[in-house]
Amino acid sequence: MREYAIEVKDLCVNYRNLQKYSIKQNFFSFKRRKTEQFEAVKNVSFSVEKGEILGIVGRNGSGKSTLLKTLAGIFSPDSGTIDMKGHSVSLLSIGVGFQTELTGRENIMLSGMLLGFSQEFIKEKMEEIIEFSELGKFIDMPVKSYSSGMHSKLAFSITAILETDIMMIDEVLSVGDTKFKKKSYAKMKSLINDQDRTVLIVSHSSDTLRQLCTSILWLHDGVIKMQGDTKEVLAAYEEFMK
Amino acid sequence: MSRFFHDLHKYKNYTIYSAKSDLKSEVASSYLNWLWWILDPICFMLIYTFIFGVVFDASEQYFPVFIFIGLTMWNFFNRLMLSSIKIVKSNKSIVSKVYLPKYILILEKMGVEAFKMGISFLIVIAMMIVYRVPVTWNILCAIPILIVFFIICFGFATILLHFGVFVQDLFNVTQIGLRLVFYMTGIFYNLSTRIPSPYSDYLSHLNPVAFLMTSMRKALLYGEMISWKWLGLWCLVGLLISAVGIHTIYKNENSYVKVL
Repeated sequence: MREYAIEVKDLCVNYRNLQKYSIKQNFFSFKRRKTEQFEAVKNVSFSVEKGEILGIVGRNGSGKSTLLKTLAGIFSPDSGTIDMKGHSVSLLSIGVGFQTELTGRENIMLSGMLLGFSQEFIKEKMEEIIEFSELGKFIDMPVKSYSSGMHSKLAFSITAILETDIMMIDEVLSVGDTKFKKKSYAKMKSLINDQDRTVLIVSHSSDTLRQLCTSILWLHDGVIKMQGDTKEVLAAYEEFMK
Repeated sequence: MSRFFHDLHKYKNYTIYSAKSDLKSEVASSYLNWLWWILDPICFMLIYTFIFGVVFDASEQYFPVFIFIGLTMWNFFNRLMLSSIKIVKSNKSIVSKVYLPKYILILEKMGVEAFKMGISFLIVIAMMIVYRVPVTWNILCAIPILIVFFIICFGFATILLHFGVFVQDLFNVTQIGLRLVFYMTGIFYNLSTRIPSPYSDYLSHLNPVAFLMTSMRKALLYGEMISWKWLGLWCLVGLLISAVGIHTIYKNENSYVKVL
């Protein structure tokens, strides 16, 4: 019996009825505005085994990031179910969530606590994170003074060192300089060798996915176009994108 | 409801740490910044004392302390209301990265503001000593008053947080509304003596901020008994609003990010 880490059934996520509304506009226009409905993810069902590394590919706007955010619990599904089997989840993506007025150290603490770790545990891991991030003395400066590379490095380090059961990575494998890239690759590799860890990667780089993933999910306009073995799906995807 | 207490426990450490870091960064980000927490209410107190005590001749016993208590509580209320409207948006970077119950953001903000309020109350105590205000056991009533005050503020803030996400110009409207409440709360005059009889009762009992502010002054300055009946009533109303607010937030919070 295979053990699943994530099971998703008939997942739909819509953006609808949710435009902002203003009191002023209500005063001055009497016609009702039409509400547009946009289905970002349509009837997607899949399951991920424990320890699997799943790559997600697709054109821009095909619903990849929405899917990850829904899995992370940031969006609610409009219909369908997501079963994470009680695993802890972390999402890593571009433009990472820091409070820019606070220092790197404080942000590590806050991010860690939001991921559900205890203060003591984070304190233990603090040095390891700082070392991995290569930030040096910048760690005690406000995050707003960081360059975008440093920003991403810090974010990657937090997610990589504070290991959650399920990691979701949105387009950030190519952060930092060449040296850091190599290091993050190595880290990803070691995570992959860990049988208990499930990783979901969104990327546009076929090479990366070919090296890391055990299977691929191809989303096209919110529906699954193809799913299965890494080589087959990537070959079909590359053919399609030509 | 049980989910609320579970989440409250789960995010307790985060809230405290985050509030502390916020205060720290506020101190660090500019020179003498913490002094403004003290200077700001003191300066406004001096202005109002002059205008209403001297120009309009509306003076009360211990007038500067009277105003200072009013301003301290009003500042807490006012700042919390205005920031709740934008609180999801201003924490966009966190909210769009990881799930957290959105009212935690309010609690964090309340922690920050409560600390500043604490400093203001220290000044109140200092002023009470300078003005030789006679101390009675009624001072202890300040504690239940503050608790009810926090519950009421939290309740209103949760409601504003929810609508603040969807209604674009709520900030402007609320600002006007708050200004109206500001003048009707009796921060720099005594509601019960300055306003003709039936209206003063409505204003001082039906507006929770005015009621709590008046009670606070009674307890601290004049050694009078507060009305427990009204305090209990507002406590219930506050809990009710909070419950509605928490329920609304739980129901809708997952779509907040889509709107931002």
